[in-house]
Amino acid sequence: MASNAIDQTRRMLSLVTYLRDRPGARIDDVARAFGITADELISDLDVLPMCGTSFRGGDLLEIDTDGERIWWRNADALGSDTAQPLRLASDEATALLVAARAVATLPGLRESDRDALQRATAKLEAAAGESAGASSRLSVTFESEGGVFADVDRAIAERRRLWLRYYSPARDELTEREVDPIRLFAVGHTYLEGWCRLSEARRTFRLDRVAEIKLLDEPADPPPVELRDLSEGLVQPAAEDPEVVIEVGPGGRWVAEYYPYDSAEELPDGGLRVTLRTPDPASLRRLALRLGRDGRIVAPRELAENAKEAARLALAAYGE
Amino acid sequence: MAIAKAERLMNLALCLLGTRRPLTKRELRTSIEAYLEAGNDESFNRMFERDKDDLRELGLVIDTVEGLDGDVGYRAQHDSNRLPPIALDAEEATALGLAARVWQQARLAGAASGALQKLHAAGGMPQYDGDGEGHGPAIPHSTLEPHIPAREAAFEPLMLACRDRRPVVFDYRKSNAARPERRQVEPWTLECWRGHWYLAGFDRDRQAERVFRISRITGPVRSRATAFTAPVPDQVTVRETVERWAGESASRTARIRLRPGSGYPLRARATQVRELADGWAELEIPYGHGLDAWLVEFGPDVIVLEPAELRAEVVDRLRAVAKG
Repeated sequence: MASNAIDQTRRMLSLVTYLRDRPGARIDDVARAFGITADELISDLDVLPMCGTSFRGGDLLEIDTDGERIWWRNADALGSDTAQPLRLASDEATALLVAARAVATLPGLRESDRDALQRATAKLEAAAGESAGASSRLSVTFESEGGVFADVDRAIAERRRLWLRYYSPARDELTEREVDPIRLFAVGHTYLEGWCRLSEARRTFRLDRVAEIKLLDEPADPPPVELRDLSEGLVQPAAEDPEVVIEVGPGGRWVAEYYPYDSAEELPDGGLRVTLRTPDPASLRRLALRLGRDGRIVAPRELAENAKEAARLALAAYGE
Repeated sequence: MAIAKAERLMNLALCLLGTRRPLTKRELRTSIEAYLEAGNDESFNRMFERDKDDLRELGLVIDTVEGLDGDVGYRAQHDSNRLPPIALDAEEATALGLAARVWQQARLAGAASGALQKLHAAGGMPQYDGDGEGHGPAIPHSTLEPHIPAREAAFEPLMLACRDRRPVVFDYRKSNAARPERRQVEPWTLECWRGHWYLAGFDRDRQAERVFRISRITGPVRSRATAFTAPVPDQVTVRETVERWAGESASRTARIRLRPGSGYPLRARATQVRELADGWAELEIPYGHGLDAWLVEFGPDVIVLEPAELRAEVVDRLRAVAKG
């Protein structure tokens, strides 16, 4: 893959600089500093001896390893400046600066982290020079509830149980529960993933839906769970979850933007027929009501009836 | 077997960095094995141009120098390629390491780790290795794992177009439109808010600033090698526009009745709450765009009192649902 070749080239250029200053560097230390596995590092070390300023003249890098340490035998042959630390590329400066600015403005972040990020950002901006210019063309805001965030952060660090009063939009109700926190993550909004002692299951809580939070003195004791890969999306329906079919007109196409779906079939009127799965179809009553004339639930039947009934009851209150 | 691209790029980079005088294409071709194997002149030239572009993407400043004999030479001068001194302390390095992991988009994720590697290589990061014993003091830090999603195919071409200030053309389907429409835009900034990416720019056909939600872009984004025609403003206000779409810049208020035990978020944003004798509550809430759709979600648990216009909209929506 092309992007891998780019990333590998970038890494090897840095490796050359790194190894020049650290003869006999240990594989494990280098891999850790570079954020790669020892195997990835070794595959870079396989390529480097084929590189140099002239393959005919024999000016190739004599870099080798005994499997534990790395030696560069002819570091001087290359000329001392060739392996100098290289300036940051525009994308590199952007990737770090945008991320650092986004995290630094997160409400509830520990002040020591905020300060450290701001200091690092200032140093990076100075070192990146004009490469930092385009970084203002990309920005990210994380939403967070500062007070709740700080309590969750502390609970995880101190391994303590939490008590929550939590709003569930699916059921439009507040429930109280104890939760053993597992992790705190941000994907646009900020979430607590934890082991819910009420349902004895793993649950994800959006921080802006926490109505009240308390740190308990009891230690948290979540069962070992495999952490989900968040790049797969936050909601990952299970194969056995019931299927819901929704037909929307052009005005209801946003459904496909907000709900992960299995299929979305174009309809002749510019609408969509969306098929999705959810563990709790009743939670979609809200969606059915919201859609109004822009769409309707096709299946399951009970859900469609349920929404109709709710609408009739509501109309009765308006004297209709 | 063909020589891997990374090896070829690495050789070109070392040649350009290692030379004091500009090297001609011919000289480079004879110094780099992969170029000798590249076949005819045309395929070599294509490969060489692409490789130079790739190295420039990696931050290398490559000078093009015309010699006395008319031959063009290339070199990467030390002064223009050197990272200025930078030294992060352990806290700064830890915090930056946390932030660098946010990108799930391949290009930016690669760039973020590449940047950290450059800082490590330059000795700008604290060293813990010593003799391989221990990994230094663990710095206590926030337990947060921040992630920035950018799954849309349009993200990368738009990011590059914003960076390089190149106009773009794409098909865009407005939220309630049946068909997409072709848009010609001078892209200014990309902003991620509540997990969604938005593009702000100058719409050439409408001759005005517009904000686009990038998940509504259908098909490829094509960039044009022409200049912007409109000035880029110092301050771009994506968020204000999006908040307006989301109905968060309300200027009026509505009065509603709420069933006991329901509608917590309505209560949370109410400017006034009056508990009624029958257990219901009467709330005053901000009334902006989209409030009708939200209130309908609560079904029979919310009754709109005023304004009449909102009440009529809600009743109208309820009728549509009741009809099925």
